Amino acid sequence: MNPQPRPLYWIGLSIFGLVIATYVLFPIFWLFLASFKTTGELASLPLTFWPVAPTIEAYTALFDTTSQSSQILNWPRLISNSFLVSVSSTLIVLVFGTLAGYAFSRIQFPGRDLILGGLLISRMFQGAALLLPTYRLMNNLGLQDSLLGLTLLYSAFGLPFATWIIASSLREIPFELEESAMMDGASRLQCMVKIVLPLATPALITAAMWHFVGAWSEFAFASILMESSDSKTVTIGLASFVELFTIEFNRVGAAASLVAMPIMLVFFFGQRYFTRGLLAGAVKG
Amino acid sequence: MGSVTLRNIRKSYGPVEVLHGIDLDVADGEFVVLVGPSGCGKSTLLRSLAGLETISAGDISIDDKVINGLEPKNRDIAMVFQNYALYPHMKVRENMAFSLKLNKVPKDEIESKVAKAAEILSLTAMLDRYPKQLSGGQRQRVAMGRAIVRDPKVFLFDEPLSNLDAKLRVQMRSEIKELHQRLGTTIVYVTHDQIEAMTMADKIVVMKDGHVEQIGAPLDLYDTPANLFVAGFIGSPSMNFMSCTAQGGKAVLSNGQVLGAAPAGLGEGQAFTAGVRPEHFVIGSGALDAPVTLVEPTGAEIQFTVDIAGDHVLITTRDRVTARLGDTLNLSVEPGKLHAFDPETGARLGGV
Repeated sequence: MNPQPRPLYWIGLSIFGLVIATYVLFPIFWLFLASFKTTGELASLPLTFWPVAPTIEAYTALFDTTSQSSQILNWPRLISNSFLVSVSSTLIVLVFGTLAGYAFSRIQFPGRDLILGGLLISRMFQGAALLLPTYRLMNNLGLQDSLLGLTLLYSAFGLPFATWIIASSLREIPFELEESAMMDGASRLQCMVKIVLPLATPALITAAMWHFVGAWSEFAFASILMESSDSKTVTIGLASFVELFTIEFNRVGAAASLVAMPIMLVFFFGQRYFTRGLLAGAVKG
Repeated sequence: MGSVTLRNIRKSYGPVEVLHGIDLDVADGEFVVLVGPSGCGKSTLLRSLAGLETISAGDISIDDKVINGLEPKNRDIAMVFQNYALYPHMKVRENMAFSLKLNKVPKDEIESKVAKAAEILSLTAMLDRYPKQLSGGQRQRVAMGRAIVRDPKVFLFDEPLSNLDAKLRVQMRSEIKELHQRLGTTIVYVTHDQIEAMTMADKIVVMKDGHVEQIGAPLDLYDTPANLFVAGFIGSPSMNFMSCTAQGGKAVLSNGQVLGAAPAGLGEGQAFTAGVRPEHFVIGSGALDAPVTLVEPTGAEIQFTVDIAGDHVLITTRDRVTARLGDTLNLSVEPGKLHAFDPETGARLGGV
């Protein structure tokens, strides 16, 4: 390895990264800015970049329950639905993923590594291939158009990968720590709660973030399963919103910004763990 | 109080038996060292005692109470692990208090016990550090502190010094021994290092392939090894072995030279393996001529490797012998220091 810093290389790489980031983020940023403009400003020429007279009118309109549009799309409802489904399926995935991950990392049983590898294989299938069978299945179970059904579905989809991430990281925690705790008087459960889980926090946060973001932004399954307006989630709301209010870009921008907000917050606070947790799994897979 | 009794301990992994019926008595307050090459079953035995492994047969008792089926936490045993197994997310203080907290000991009592243990181990200044901020020796001491605060019946040590450098190892060795003298608690200690065993133990248990080869005080093992394995394992540099025949009370080498007086009790013409420790040769006063093939001065002594009847034999002397490569040393064996072993079974022959 060359111990000397190579400034040109890093400057070049940074410029390249900036260009890519601008290319990707510019439309999103523009939409974000648009959410603070009036419909008039958006329609007038020449186009403005920064809002001339910034207003949160578009946001208040989203939450105006008396307006005609909220009869069709009830944003507070959409948001609370999405939160309910994402948060509860994240909790389910964390609880069961931790228990399963602990078993995979600590208990010898026949076919253990095969099954653990199989968990990853399950991620190789395109979700779209499962749309129809899932729809039939949920219908037969009477779980279509139900938030409970969607929560269970997301949990089932998220569990394998979460288990894999958690198991990989638990494998790196020496078993001697638990043996030591057992000698110190801890039960198996106390070992897990007091020793293993605190040490596995980065992996747990990673798994939780990964799942929350996935559940929050899931569209395909929600769109075929959730029919009534009371049970829809933000991604469906956003899609139909674009269809209904194409002309009112400020409102579309406001809705999109709102929907993106939780994901940005999750990454803002958790990205430190996110890379660490994924890397921990990557080194020892 | 903490006497330990092991009766016919057997342990199998599937069809493979790794402990073949171990019997051992450890008196209260005794410092017992299990020693043997890696894979001899000493750690398995220790872990069985701790309750971290289940045994396939036999009885483990502490103070005459059988504890076979008990969980580790109910055995009143503390263990120090090879890699210390300190909880990385807890400060030294919390590491040491962990077991007391689990056992719901009152807070002020925990504090005083931790403070006392920290003082014994000179860890008082480290109490608010995390394990990763400590040196190897300090971590080792925290691991011991964690054991001490519990005031258990028995301490178990599983190769606790093998991760330390040579100098620190010697220092910790005496610290552990002093600790034992101070606390008087029964200790069962596992190591593969026979010097550790010799210097620390009241009683050494030499193990090999899941069997106990010999149990005894360090110097008894050194002076009267029960078999070839113990003779070769205990002592550094290790004992020299040569094939001999007993003729007229003498140990005669394969080339006809006389090594020394054969131990009593050997039959005339009986073939045996003679064992002589390097320091039990006398230079310059014998009938045995041996060419020098290697000279290694260590300072305190000089080590000569000589050729005796085709075997490389190591001799140490504290005298400043000036022999050089190619010279011939005139050797004899100190009276009574020639051990005889059965070449087939390895068992000790005759009396010394």
